Amino acid sequence: MMLSTARSSLYRLLPLVAALASLGAQAQSSQSAFTFSGFATLGVVGTDTNKAHYVLPGQVRGGDKSFSGEVDSKLGLQATGRLNTVFSGTAQLLTKQNGKGSFTPELEWAFVKAQLLPSLALRAGRMGAPFFAVSDFRDVGYANTWLRPPLDVYGQVPVSHFDGVDGLYQTNIGSATVSAQLFAGSSSAHFERTKLKFKDLMGFNTTAELDGGITLRLGHAVGKITVESATLDQLVAGLRGVPLPTVSSVGDQLSARSKDVSFTGVGLAFDEGNWLFNSEYTLRRTKTYIPDTTGWYTTLGYRVGKFTPYLTLSRLKVDDNNVDNTIPLGLSPQLNGLKALVDGTVEGQRTEQKTVALGLRWDAMRNVAVKTQFDRISPKGAGLFTRVQPGFGSGHVNVYSLAVDVVF
Amino acid sequence: MMKNKLRLSLSALALAAAGLAQAQVAVIVNPKNATAAMTADQVAGIFLGKSNTLPGGATAAALDQPESAAVREQFYTKVTGKQAAQVKAAWSRLVFSGKATPPKELASSAEIKKFVAANADAIGYIEKSAVDGSVKVVLSVD
Repeated sequence: MMLSTARSSLYRLLPLVAALASLGAQAQSSQSAFTFSGFATLGVVGTDTNKAHYVLPGQVRGGDKSFSGEVDSKLGLQATGRLNTVFSGTAQLLTKQNGKGSFTPELEWAFVKAQLLPSLALRAGRMGAPFFAVSDFRDVGYANTWLRPPLDVYGQVPVSHFDGVDGLYQTNIGSATVSAQLFAGSSSAHFERTKLKFKDLMGFNTTAELDGGITLRLGHAVGKITVESATLDQLVAGLRGVPLPTVSSVGDQLSARSKDVSFTGVGLAFDEGNWLFNSEYTLRRTKTYIPDTTGWYTTLGYRVGKFTPYLTLSRLKVDDNNVDNTIPLGLSPQLNGLKALVDGTVEGQRTEQKTVALGLRWDAMRNVAVKTQFDRISPKGAGLFTRVQPGFGSGHVNVYSLAVDVVF
Repeated sequence: MMKNKLRLSLSALALAAAGLAQAQVAVIVNPKNATAAMTADQVAGIFLGKSNTLPGGATAAALDQPESAAVREQFYTKVTGKQAAQVKAAWSRLVFSGKATPPKELASSAEIKKFVAANADAIGYIEKSAVDGSVKVVLSVD
């Protein structure tokens, strides 16, 4: 019911958030408050090859033998206005290199929250999409041990927020704290300049914090994807126009207009004393030319005073490319051309890679962390790199990163 | 008799020595609050943003000391078992996911005491030596 009106309701909520904020600023009692906070990362990344760019998937340019400051650098500003113990509003503005190649600040969040009971909250507006264990604060470098969340997992879903509603419930079962979140809405994003739209998005996200610093997570989301690409639409129309089932069916498989997608993730984290461990295992499933993938990572770290060295192993694997290219060869040059185009489109989605990453976090000051990370990536084909040139993808790529994270 | 006296004076000496090294920290609530005592886990839950309620069920109004205060470092190390940077990282996760707001920071133990004495759902921590009848101690840590 909220789905179709999510976007318009978001714009209606904006003045409310502003009003809440100003109310909070005026009334400095214990019941109402206005808080302002922010985070920033200044980071550079480079590799040992000029045959591809290292990017966060979706970005249009990044690092090669020349270091780039445009991959990890970002600035986020957040304001929360609390009207009373029940109602509050939060807005976050974020600037980083987006899928259009610009740093235009975007409204990452703008939601109102009603804390109906100490254990139950409802939110409406634009909110973080909880596909992963750290999806809400994946851009807040300071909040994470890694220099950046492992791309082999976090690179599978290109959206970070959605417009809609959610409910958050938190309870204690024995000594465990259990949180459950149900959400519904829609979202859109640009991926290397192509617009992606997600409709009828809904799912859940549950976590359990157990004794001994152990956190378990289970999440699942479903939705319908549309890829706004005239090139793809033309190819699909061309295939569907051929009066041969072996050809037209390929068009149906390739079509990316309102096709089912799902994403499932389980996570295990451990943080007690000096040891920390994080692991996620995720599955992406689609009914279009975007492949089914499995992504996982395991991170182990050990705190030595203000220093935390860590090791991450991760892998992104293509389980099924979802297109059975049954176009017969040798019937006509046109069909041969179409078959090659389909093969090329499917090949362009082959994002397999394996990564071994070694990093060091230094808590230099109370709100400043300095990190360095070395990634050794073995891509199959393009992997998650972009601007790939012929000859790339046979060996491994060394990636060198340095970043300073601040929260304020 | 002599033995007991000796033991007493020895423990007094030990206490004095501990006092020199680090002051005791007292977790305080409003005297009207029905809670008699809290465990370190319960207090840690509130100050790390895992729980937002007092044992009685009311929404807690938690108060922090300034980041420069020695008692703050001591409170988090002793009660939550976490270093300052870990606490800061934990709160930045909650703040930047819009899930919770960190404890309100007040300038001194005197201000925290004043706030707790005036607000039924407040919870804070001060040096044990600063405790008086206007507040109630629910947990002390050495």
